[in-house]
Amino acid sequence: MSLSLFKFRDMVILGLHGVVVHKVRSVLTILGILFGVWSVIAMLAINAGLSVQSQKALRRLGSTNIIINSIKPETDAANSGAYNGALVYGLTLRDVERLGTNTPGVVESAILHKTQKTACAGEHIRAVGVLGIEPNYLAVANGEVSRGRFISDLDILLCRNVCVIPQSFANRMFPADDALGKDLHLLDSDGKPFHIVGIMETLPAALESQLGESGDAVLVPLSTSRAEFGSMTIRYSQGSRSVEQVDISQCILRMENESAVIRGAGVVRNLLQRDHPQGDYALKVPVEEIKLMKADMRRWNVMFFLIASISLLVGGIGIMNIMLASVTERTREIGVRRALGAKKQDIVTQFLVEAVTLTTLGGLLGIGIGTFVPWILQQILAIETLITPMTLIVPFVMAVVVGLLSGFYPALRAAKLDPIDALRHE
Amino acid sequence: MSLVKIDNLWKIYPLLAGDVVALGGVSLEIKAGDYVSIMGQSGSGKSTMLNLLGCLDKPSRGQYWLGDADVATLTDEQLSVVRNERIGFVFQSFNLIPWLTIEENVEVPLFYQGIAPAARRAKSMEMLSLVGLGDRVGHKPNELSGGQRQRAAIARALVNDPLIILADEPTGNLDSATTLEILDLFDELNQNGCTIIMVTHEADVAERTRRVIVLRDGELESDRTQAPQGGKR
Ligand SMILES: Nc1ncnc2c1ncn2[C@@H]1O[C@H](COP(=O)(O)OP(=O)(O)O)[C@@H](O)[C@H]1O
Ligand SMILES: [Mg+2]
Repeated sequence: MSLSLFKFRDMVILGLHGVVVHKVRSVLTILGILFGVWSVIAMLAINAGLSVQSQKALRRLGSTNIIINSIKPETDAANSGAYNGALVYGLTLRDVERLGTNTPGVVESAILHKTQKTACAGEHIRAVGVLGIEPNYLAVANGEVSRGRFISDLDILLCRNVCVIPQSFANRMFPADDALGKDLHLLDSDGKPFHIVGIMETLPAALESQLGESGDAVLVPLSTSRAEFGSMTIRYSQGSRSVEQVDISQCILRMENESAVIRGAGVVRNLLQRDHPQGDYALKVPVEEIKLMKADMRRWNVMFFLIASISLLVGGIGIMNIMLASVTERTREIGVRRALGAKKQDIVTQFLVEAVTLTTLGGLLGIGIGTFVPWILQQILAIETLITPMTLIVPFVMAVVVGLLSGFYPALRAAKLDPIDALRHE
Repeated sequence: MSLVKIDNLWKIYPLLAGDVVALGGVSLEIKAGDYVSIMGQSGSGKSTMLNLLGCLDKPSRGQYWLGDADVATLTDEQLSVVRNERIGFVFQSFNLIPWLTIEENVEVPLFYQGIAPAARRAKSMEMLSLVGLGDRVGHKPNELSGGQRQRAAIARALVNDPLIILADEPTGNLDSATTLEILDLFDELNQNGCTIIMVTHEADVAERTRRVIVLRDGELESDRTQAPQGGKR
């Protein structure tokens, strides 16, 4: 037993010796594995990073929310001319009530009404979306006030002229001062300015679909908005004037949990289809989208995995090629060793140790570079990457398996030769 | 009891063009301590016979006893052990492993016996001194002359204290002066009790041995014992 253990150690040393003696072959093999492994790790890390990034974005919309936005329908389908020549479309308060009572699992609903106004403070003038909301909008839409306060129940009750604005808009309107506590004029109100009571670092993600590129917005009490601006929005574009009337611009239904969202989304879809055949709404269900995205990601992962496998396979074939060539080159050596007393097993062990050493070295170096490259990408290109133990282990194991198979097969083949055939090999 | 005994030994290579009978029923015995040369024309089956004796190849038919072992009954592993412990090979083309130093080359048989590195090295050095290469141990085979390489190969054949040395045209690639050197070495080994079986097609090389076996077309043509013409004596 101790003899065989001792001999095993010697066999390992012999294999390692083979690695050192055949330098060019060893370096080529290690390079092959290294490139396979690091490219796969980097690919997986970038893929995982993308997936995490977009999932985060959807989670910000609220995973228990069903978001319904009013959208302008195709012109001829619209209920045009119904009122003062205004284009009437979108959700109504009745819709919201109906949705609230008929959809199982609704905890609360938050509504938003948007009008388009012009804001001015001193010499700064900008077009803004004025968003009439109620206090619960903040919590439902996962928003956060960074300074000051949000719209309160009392603001609603008293139809106060107060507002909350995002930091970016505050910077534009009050570049020199702190906007908090200042007054903002919203044109064609009756002149009374809006007092800025709160600043939000970022607006809730659910608002993104309501705002233009600039993201300029003023959040005001819904009651104030209704009283001062009504539900009409007058647009002037290229000399013509169009009037639009939208009762409710956005409704967010907050559901008990994610499974209630899935069930509720079906009900909401049916109700809206029945009541709004003209299609003047857009339903956004983050959980569904996350699910879709996960399925999408799985497909991508399969793709990446296939590409990765192919690159490893190509590397493996390269390694096998080198190994086979070296076996041919070394068949005489094997014949000599067999003539001098090596057993088949000894030859296999020798070649396996070589293969294991080369693949492990290549694999470890691959892991090193494979973690370094995504890090560099993250630092320089700001691409989010994610390295999990699996993204390291899977390519490593694959490389080692490929290396072993490609090392094992030639070893087996070489060992199986009759000593005399190996010796005669030219 | 004889060291080697073969009985009606055949080796047939089945080829597409027809079977080639390399060895057609040879029977003979060789005593321990003998010095035998196998002669014959090219293609007469000398190498085939030596390979069979060395357990590198398996006979198509017939029996072969090496010492007390019936070689046909041995497994592949056991054959490896037999080659490892009882047989020393010397080849015409030396067959040293090119990326090992000659000292490492000589160690190889001991390696497969599981002998410790230090002991292997000591024994290897001893054998290399014996063949007069004590000062070239660290050289690679391609840094040595043909005669030196063959002496290294002989050191390797001796390192496991074999029962029998099998040499296939050991002087075939050497000039006449070097040939004499190697033959002197064989004489010396034989005088120390080593059994040597050597294939050669040169009559003056065969002169140096005690027994000359001649093959012709795979069959035994003659088998005579002679007074060896030792170079040093
Ligand atoms: N591997 C082989 N396959 C087919 N024929 C072979 C093989 N080895 C040897 N022979 C044939 O067997 C015969 C004896 O060969 P060999 O023993 O090498 O002759 P020698 O060594 O006396 O020159 C020759 O005719 C040779 O062609
Ligand atoms: Mg021959």
